Amino acid sequence: MPNPLKPERSVVTTCAYCGVGCGFKAETRAGRIVRMIPWKEGKANHGHSCIKGRFAYDYYNHPDRVRTPLIRRSIDEPWQEVDWDTALNHAAAEFRRIQSTYGTKSIGAVSSSRCTNEEIFLVQKLARAVFGNNNIDNCARICHSPTQFGLSATVGWGAASQHFDSILQADVIMVVGANPTEGHPVFGSLMKRRIRQGAKLIVIDPRRTETVKSAHCEATVHLPLRPGNNVAILNSLGHVIVRERLYNESFVRERCEWNEFELWMGLVGSDRYAPEVIGPVAGVAPEAIRAAARLYAGGPNSAIYYGLGVTEHSQGSTGVMCLGNLSLSCGMLGREGVGVNPLRGQGNVQGGSCLGSWPHVFSGYRFVTDPEVRGSFEQEWGVPLDAEPGLRLPNMFDAALTGHFRGMYIMGEDPVQSDPNRHHIVEAMRQMECVVLQDLFLNETSNYAHVFLPGSSSLEKEGTFTSAERRVNRVRKVVEPLAGYQDWEIVVRLMNTMGYPAQYAHAGEILDELARLSPAYKGLSFALLERIGSAQWPCDENAPEGTEVLHTKTFPRANGRGTFMLTEFVPTAERTNDRFPLLLTTGRILSQYNVGTQTRRTANSRWHPEDRLEINAADAQARGLRDGDWVTVTSRFGQTRLRAKLSTRVNPGIVYTTFHHATSKANAVTSDLSDWATNCPEYKVTAVEVARVDAAPMRAQAEAREDEVVEAVS
Amino acid sequence: MGAAVKPGPGQMGETVLDLQRLLTMANQIGDFFAPYPPERRAEGIRNHLRTYWDPRMRQDLLDYIASGGDGLVPQVLEGARLLVETEHDKKGYYGPPKA
Repeated sequence: MPNPLKPERSVVTTCAYCGVGCGFKAETRAGRIVRMIPWKEGKANHGHSCIKGRFAYDYYNHPDRVRTPLIRRSIDEPWQEVDWDTALNHAAAEFRRIQSTYGTKSIGAVSSSRCTNEEIFLVQKLARAVFGNNNIDNCARICHSPTQFGLSATVGWGAASQHFDSILQADVIMVVGANPTEGHPVFGSLMKRRIRQGAKLIVIDPRRTETVKSAHCEATVHLPLRPGNNVAILNSLGHVIVRERLYNESFVRERCEWNEFELWMGLVGSDRYAPEVIGPVAGVAPEAIRAAARLYAGGPNSAIYYGLGVTEHSQGSTGVMCLGNLSLSCGMLGREGVGVNPLRGQGNVQGGSCLGSWPHVFSGYRFVTDPEVRGSFEQEWGVPLDAEPGLRLPNMFDAALTGHFRGMYIMGEDPVQSDPNRHHIVEAMRQMECVVLQDLFLNETSNYAHVFLPGSSSLEKEGTFTSAERRVNRVRKVVEPLAGYQDWEIVVRLMNTMGYPAQYAHAGEILDELARLSPAYKGLSFALLERIGSAQWPCDENAPEGTEVLHTKTFPRANGRGTFMLTEFVPTAERTNDRFPLLLTTGRILSQYNVGTQTRRTANSRWHPEDRLEINAADAQARGLRDGDWVTVTSRFGQTRLRAKLSTRVNPGIVYTTFHHATSKANAVTSDLSDWATNCPEYKVTAVEVARVDAAPMRAQAEAREDEVVEAVS
Repeated sequence: MGAAVKPGPGQMGETVLDLQRLLTMANQIGDFFAPYPPERRAEGIRNHLRTYWDPRMRQDLLDYIASGGDGLVPQVLEGARLLVETEHDKKGYYGPPKA
């Protein structure tokens, strides 16, 4: 009998899940994907893969996929199936009507890190050149915007300083607010390989994560800080480095601004950051802080890897600056085995950051306020551009509530499920007169949308992704787009329908345009990527095949030197009290991905049928909870229901959940506090109370519409 | 304090963001720059507001300060004063964050 899975065709492409960017051979038979084989030539994964990239691909062909555009006059009406022209004409007419009634700035656009560089670049162009304003943002706003801010302030570029393989030269690995064995598993395996060879591991995380202890992985030092104390702890590490003179003076003198270093020493060296002062406040033994600082400074090669546990705080940008300060002070930059490296959540967060889906910078991190930069874009695009920064994603919702913002184009995002303070978002969405959503599936946000444009998955399009190691990988079309168009083609059609002529024969022409307008991408083209497979930016005449390690000679700042920022600890306004005595923090597990839009529609769901609330036995006992009980989790902002899981991974006073299932509604609970510099939401610290639900609710009840389940409690 | 009134359907509120939220954001920026020497502190806040805030948000902040500015930390008032003084300064700062 012939093998029904025997592939006929194989296409090399890039996984769209986490920021590692694994290469895969997608194999098809009769126009359908039958398997994903990790690609040995993939420079991030070298033939390895995790159970998401390997198995969770079937979502692309799920019956839930929308295959026809939909429109409706109001969100109370049912959807109506229409052809593409009708949908696009409706969207364009509505956007123009809103702008003529309420002003140019009354609409905006949001792009997604699940889309390609080319698409992200085009959505920026849609907002700036066609809408005529800078109301453009992307989902990195709610995850890694502090990385761009904090790293560019200290080392010059808001990106990982290393390539992943660099970790094989590291002697000390410091993981802060990340759980790579679950969240970035292929990189996590590389890390474990180095640990097996004897590298020391420091983990700074409130939870005893799998990275702290699991097979082939055990932390030498774990600092289980109370959520919200990152900056205090990192300054305290700096304190030990300064007071015990563990810093690398010759590196700082040669490569950094010495005056700023002295100012920094004055701040972190002061008694208020002594481990003996900070330790008891942050819930960490002072000796452990000292041990971590000595290990890190001692190297000889120490590398920092961090995640959303650093960024998603009201001092997220300050936390990232702390990491920049630490690595500069100890000379841990500019060679293999060292560095500061954000672990990006989504496949193309780095690309989302690079390609101008921000209200204040064009692609290439160049400021809209700079007349010279703006001029180069005006020349390329043939229209005058807004000289002022636009609204950020959270501010767009804020402005919707005051009537200043009335329409939104959203590509591949589900803000109602993923953005903070769900009530606030829902109320804002209801105020808008036209929401155009382009996505694979109807989702929580489509409940409030007026136009639905069926998009394409990364398996159905051409383009590039930029991974967390700055590696630009090719995304190739494996199967035809189910609804007829690649996402970039839909954006081009919308631009034309709104009266701006745009034409690209293929996605490579968009890459050529963005390369002309983004210095670090200057040398990139489909032709180069065909020839060498992938390239890490900066890729230009000085580095025609890209750059593995940054900052080897100078830092990309005006004077070429790294600098130190003053990172005073400012406690978050989100505090525990008698009513809300526990701190809730969040994370992910291996088999599922973010809010689960894709992975929940595959057999991977069998490994994680529901999100659970991890709670320490002492806290559970005080509340009469047993393992598996349904509980309410209540904060100052809202309430949700989860089943409790007694766990030794969290200390008393801390509870933890994943957020892979829509019914968990973790964002109904999280606060509206945000990072001081970027408005990145403070997802990682919420004061809550947990109580047992007497009658376990029917599953159906938990799945009821959010307006019924979620009720404000204060 | 004159918190923004939530407008009815079809109406526009006085400020682009809820005023209380805007003031919280401004004070958070003030808190970050607090440890810097006075001149750099004010300049850092000015640059941040100029580079990252929608001009309507900046104007709402300035209007609020003109009406008294209650509840804002002093360095935000300083930064806002620089914002006005350097409004027509052609050599604005467009670079990455610094203090």
